[in-house]
Amino acid sequence: MTMQVPLEKDYFRLPSGEPGDLGALLGSYSPQTGKYFYPRRKLCPITSGPVEDCELPARGILYSWTYVKDPRMGTLKMGDQSGYGVGQIDLPGGVRIQSIILGQQGDWEIGMPMRLAFQPVKMPNKRLDDNIEHMTFCFEPDRA
Amino acid sequence: MLKDVYVIGVGMHPFGKHGISTRDMAFHAGQQALQDAGVPFQQVGALYSGYIGGTMLEGVSYAKDYGLTGLPVVHVENASATGSSAFREAVLAVAGGHSEIAMAVGFDDMLTLGMRMGMMEMIEGPKVEQIVLPAAFFALWAVRRMHDCGTTVETYAKIAAKNWNHARFNPNAQRQSDHEVTPEEVLKSNMVAYPHTSMMACAAGAGAACAIVASKDVARKVANGRPLVRVIASQMQSESYTEGHVFLGAVVGPSELTTTTSRAAYEQAGVGPEAISLVHVHDAFPIEELMYYELLGFCGPGEGDRLVAEGATALGGRIPFSTDGGLIARGHPGGPTGLAQIWECTLQLRGQAQQRQVPGARMALAHMMGAGSVCVIHILSKEK
Repeated sequence: MTMQVPLEKDYFRLPSGEPGDLGALLGSYSPQTGKYFYPRRKLCPITSGPVEDCELPARGILYSWTYVKDPRMGTLKMGDQSGYGVGQIDLPGGVRIQSIILGQQGDWEIGMPMRLAFQPVKMPNKRLDDNIEHMTFCFEPDRA
Repeated sequence: MLKDVYVIGVGMHPFGKHGISTRDMAFHAGQQALQDAGVPFQQVGALYSGYIGGTMLEGVSYAKDYGLTGLPVVHVENASATGSSAFREAVLAVAGGHSEIAMAVGFDDMLTLGMRMGMMEMIEGPKVEQIVLPAAFFALWAVRRMHDCGTTVETYAKIAAKNWNHARFNPNAQRQSDHEVTPEEVLKSNMVAYPHTSMMACAAGAGAACAIVASKDVARKVANGRPLVRVIASQMQSESYTEGHVFLGAVVGPSELTTTTSRAAYEQAGVGPEAISLVHVHDAFPIEELMYYELLGFCGPGEGDRLVAEGATALGGRIPFSTDGGLIARGHPGGPTGLAQIWECTLQLRGQAQQRQVPGARMALAHMMGAGSVCVIHILSKEK
């Protein structure tokens, strides 16, 4: 059985399997300013005061999008597709997330609702018998 | 600045994909700048070597080609703003009275840099941070701009075509078209990240550039009848928090960074944008140049499209941008890019830019963004 693990720790929590749990991005909350940040900060970027770890809302609004056809300046492969979407999503609390977005050009409109999702990342030198699947976060249109 | 600082020499190795080693290109650019300045390397008090893609030894090692004089040599790296940052260090060395003459050299080969980054990923595995590429990041700006201001893809294509055509008059530019490039041609090239096509994307290649700065006493001695070119502002800022701040995957920080850095530069120079004759910016993609028209104060918010439609930012226009082709067409090897801007601004202010010459150029502004991120702005002024 394949086990799914985060591509890197401290960025997100995968869904627990409980109904309605989409997983979560792991951020920081600054009690002094009432603002949220992603990814986790060591200190509040505004006051340099303490921050608290928190999970961010899994739903937000699409701020901008693009579709990358020619990923020449990187080698990270998102599955076997010829291109991929990238977007910025505004979450409640003033956090803007930059992320892969699922779908094709034409699927997205600025201002549409989006929700957190996860997808596997193709790893270099992965063995055929390796039963670990590395996952990273993305967003998809929230049509619910 | 404590002391006035002048650009006394500039040099360049042409940008492109020519297979020449970074060492040879750096030597060529440095020697050309020393000859242009009319000073021997033995008089240079400090050297700042800017590169992104080399090894930790190259900055000091390449300096030996100019001579072994015992001068301090420092490797400067600040992503795309590496050359601008090296130049700023040289300016500050003279302004602070630490050197009478200082030299900034930048060199890189973006093609080998890409291969090295790919090898690192093969060894270490992919990272969450690496998912969004520069082409995608600036495309996000472009799509949002189209939504907010009604900007069209034709406007982006016109900016790119303008810079390709400026480069036709620059022998050091990477992209040398044998015909006038049209916006239609730009739009027909391969899509990279909507709405950016390959002809809108900055040219990745190799090259080197160098600038030598000096005190007023030295500048006067070596002027040889040429007008003096004074550095009247040198500013660098990193990010301040803004609403909707993107920490993960942002290639550069919020666009406000350009506004705040330029305000500091204008204040230091004692002039406003109306005094500037020509501008160079981090035009890795045309959306950047369009936004910098506004963020640098050359027009109001949302008015940049009108400048493009009027041809105001082309050679012959009211405020020419990217007179040497900019990152889009002169090229963007990394380390030398900001110093190529200084090369062009200096030639323009001396009246030596030939077919690219902006008539009566008196002040030039050079702006670079560096991923991470920083904004560096210099303003140069012609003095008789």
